[in-house]
Amino acid sequence: MSKGEIAERVVRYVVSEIVDEPDAVELEMVDDGEDSAVAEVRTAKSDMGRVIGRRGRVARAIRTLAGAAGDEEGIDVQVEFLD
Amino acid sequence: MVREWVEATGSTVDIAVQAALQELGLESRDQAVVEVIKEGKPGILGSAWRAEDAVVKVMAKPPDRKRRRRRGRGGKNRGDGESGEDTRGSDGTPTTTPDQRAKGGKGAERPRREGRGKAQNAGERQPVKAAGETRESTSRGAGEPRDRGRGGQSGEPERTPREEEASIEEQAKVAEDFVKGLLGAFGLEGTVTTTIDDDILKIDVTGDQTEALVGRKGVIMQSVLEITRTVVQRKTFGAPRMRIDINGYAERRREALKIYAARQAERVLEDGGEVMLEPMNAADRKVVHDAVAEIAGVRSYSEGEDPDRAVVISKDEANDDE
Repeated sequence: MSKGEIAERVVRYVVSEIVDEPDAVELEMVDDGEDSAVAEVRTAKSDMGRVIGRRGRVARAIRTLAGAAGDEEGIDVQVEFLD
Repeated sequence: MVREWVEATGSTVDIAVQAALQELGLESRDQAVVEVIKEGKPGILGSAWRAEDAVVKVMAKPPDRKRRRRRGRGGKNRGDGESGEDTRGSDGTPTTTPDQRAKGGKGAERPRREGRGKAQNAGERQPVKAAGETRESTSRGAGEPRDRGRGGQSGEPERTPREEEASIEEQAKVAEDFVKGLLGAFGLEGTVTTTIDDDILKIDVTGDQTEALVGRKGVIMQSVLEITRTVVQRKTFGAPRMRIDINGYAERRREALKIYAARQAERVLEDGGEVMLEPMNAADRKVVHDAVAEIAGVRSYSEGEDPDRAVVISKDEANDDE
């Protein structure tokens, strides 16, 4: 299992379920030191707001879930939402 | 369009908005249109002293916009305002749409109630102390042709407004499927069931491994709920009130909170003044508010911004402009 795999799966799943254009979702797991990784998420422009949510609520929830997924394999996972 | 404004006050705009949302049975500010009437001023040093309440007007937002792409059942406009399943337009053409949207945008002629979600699943929760200025019947107005052919294919077909919200049973299914998928993504074994009680959709997750989705103070669990709600909203045009429990955690926490809240309330009753509890998430705050509401002589409200938002319990004396 590659590092951050669970988080990757979780983030991909969650984001895809939320957006209008799941096919436009791009997710890249970037190594960020030994025990941590960054999930870089890109979506169709029109979907970004949805993924962030009002006052960042959805984004925060996604980060929490990504963190929980990281915990499952003992790494820290950050999530970045990129334009 | 018909909107039901609810006016609410609170120590901050945010608090007032939250109160109004609750009144309207809405889950989040996204679902509402908010008008700030008065900003309000914080008290000195976090106390209520010299504080001025914020006043806001809030109403449910139409569930269109951003809610394109609905679930696949060909989602048609249903012709009558509120009832169940509609099978019309099963040919799958975007029959409803832009035309309706256009109308919807303009108001008057669409006395359909806002936020179908609400109308359907939360009918009884419609605003209690709504100002009532605009409340009208939920039936369609005359002159509301809802002829679906018109404009059906033009413009922005995805922005199908007014798609009916799915039944709560369908929403339960969407929620259940989503959470199951989430467990799968996490690689956790567990069981997901949903129950509907009093228009509240309750999601129960059980299984030893699913403990991983609880988190400190249930924070992961609440995130699961937040996302699930977002998904339900996206796929069914609205979301009922939802709760989640994982391995009974929420239930245990609720019981503990009730006891805690009652104890703090007693303290206020005895000593006067106010007690600010530790910051809690919305669900926990709700439990506290409910518990306090059952105790005569005290009241509660929330203060601060998430994630530091906290319940304050105070003596119930001046019941001003409620």
